[in-house]
Amino acid sequence: MRDQPLTLEDTNLLVQLDDQMAAVNARARQSLVQITSGSGWHKGAGAGTIWHPDGLIVTNAHVIARGRVQVTLPDGQVLPARVLAADENLDLAALQVEASDLPPINLGHSKTLRPGQWVTAVGHPWGVLGASTSGIVIGAGREFPELVAQGREWIAVSLHMRPGHSGGPLLDAEGNVVGINTMITGPDVGFAIPVDVIKSFLKTALGRDEDSAHESARTHRDSLI
Amino acid sequence: MSEILKSLSDALAANTEAVSPSVVRMETRRRMPATGVVWNSDGVIVTSNHVVERDDNLRVGLPDGSTVEGKLVGRDPSTDLAVLKVENASLSVPHWADVSEIKVGHLVLAVGRPGKQVMATLGVVSAFDTAEKMRIGGALDYYLQTDVVMYPGFSGGPLMNAGGHVLGINTSALLDGVSLTITATTIKRVVETLLKHGKMRRGFLGVGAQGVKLPAVLAEALKQEVGLLIMVVEPGSPAEKGGLFMGDTIVQIDGRALRSPDELVNALTGDLIGRTVTLRVLRGGQLQNIEVVVGERG
Repeated sequence: MRDQPLTLEDTNLLVQLDDQMAAVNARARQSLVQITSGSGWHKGAGAGTIWHPDGLIVTNAHVIARGRVQVTLPDGQVLPARVLAADENLDLAALQVEASDLPPINLGHSKTLRPGQWVTAVGHPWGVLGASTSGIVIGAGREFPELVAQGREWIAVSLHMRPGHSGGPLLDAEGNVVGINTMITGPDVGFAIPVDVIKSFLKTALGRDEDSAHESARTHRDSLI
Repeated sequence: MSEILKSLSDALAANTEAVSPSVVRMETRRRMPATGVVWNSDGVIVTSNHVVERDDNLRVGLPDGSTVEGKLVGRDPSTDLAVLKVENASLSVPHWADVSEIKVGHLVLAVGRPGKQVMATLGVVSAFDTAEKMRIGGALDYYLQTDVVMYPGFSGGPLMNAGGHVLGINTSALLDGVSLTITATTIKRVVETLLKHGKMRRGFLGVGAQGVKLPAVLAEALKQEVGLLIMVVEPGSPAEKGGLFMGDTIVQIDGRALRSPDELVNALTGDLIGRTVTLRVLRGGQLQNIEVVVGERG
């Protein structure tokens, strides 16, 4: 153990870490939308994640449970949204807005997640737009001591998720989406639906294989000059 | 784009995986299981005393997925540690860290196995000091507080440093709402005593006492408001042999203030058995020193 003060090199490491965390957040916010559902006193609000440039948005079913869905894009544009599919048991919904060339979130994988991995959740907690919270994966799978056995898959994360994070992306250290923020069981413990579950939901509900669609869309964009 | 963040993420996951073979599940209470840590290759397991709610029908979930019977070796409520033994299990002993290297601000991982797989939470060392300075009694050698989230079932699990070594065992039961870690120094002392004697040896004076306000002048001089008034002296006890009387007020033991019966209990650690302690006693308005040879609580 060293007793000397931090050297410039050490400080640089933390500064670089800061920069990279900020970059992950900045990139994620481009694919983060606000969602309101219902009207008047019964209005609900949450977050959504842009899944595809052609206007496909993924959120939680509970975020759109009050009817009449509107999406606010990162540039402030407010668009009506059509519900393509919603599954209350999975707490997932797929929305469509009339737009093109939206910046989609980078898709990651959830099956390979390991306890200890760094994750960041973005959303609009208590209405604070584009807010971020970071921590690590507590565990991923079907077995969590505080959940009544349901047999479904979750990612448990140790960070400060709050109402309004729902529907926003959970990102790994490289900025890839690994889940959708869905619920909390305490002030320091959040639960996200694994991205692999969302992929199969979209495949079943919409007949779309987003992994390959995404890949081709990205390739197409990358090839533009 | 994020090499350092990715490296940090990979390192945290790798540290969690590395300790995993030494982390077991304790099925030792009615509600959810908790966690234990392998102490040696003879099958000795250390966990938190408060998660071992019964003395038998103790099951230990091993990293290989099997569940075996554990036998209770002993408990020490004062450090919230319990020791169990399992037979014929091939167990992996973790690397223990040098406690003296702990610094406030260090990154730490808490690991637990309430289910089949290990789980982890991350935090930093919030406070680290010798326990005596922190005034939480003589039972702990060090006071190590972190801000790690104690996920359900994490009590009894290891706290790891950035180097992947185990700093101690986490408990949420000793201080309300605070994640305390019992460090290796204390664990070693408790485990060795429990393996040898089956219980923690505690010192014994043989008095019944209660807190009492000291006269104003004395309180000012001693910077101590309260002392311990002796209500009962057991016949034949170390206290009687040393010459303590009913009505004496003990204010210090070996120079340490005594303000409650709990502080006296904490002060009478096992290592004092057979040794002479000096009690500062108020008798007839005068302070005097009385020497007592500490006995052992039966």
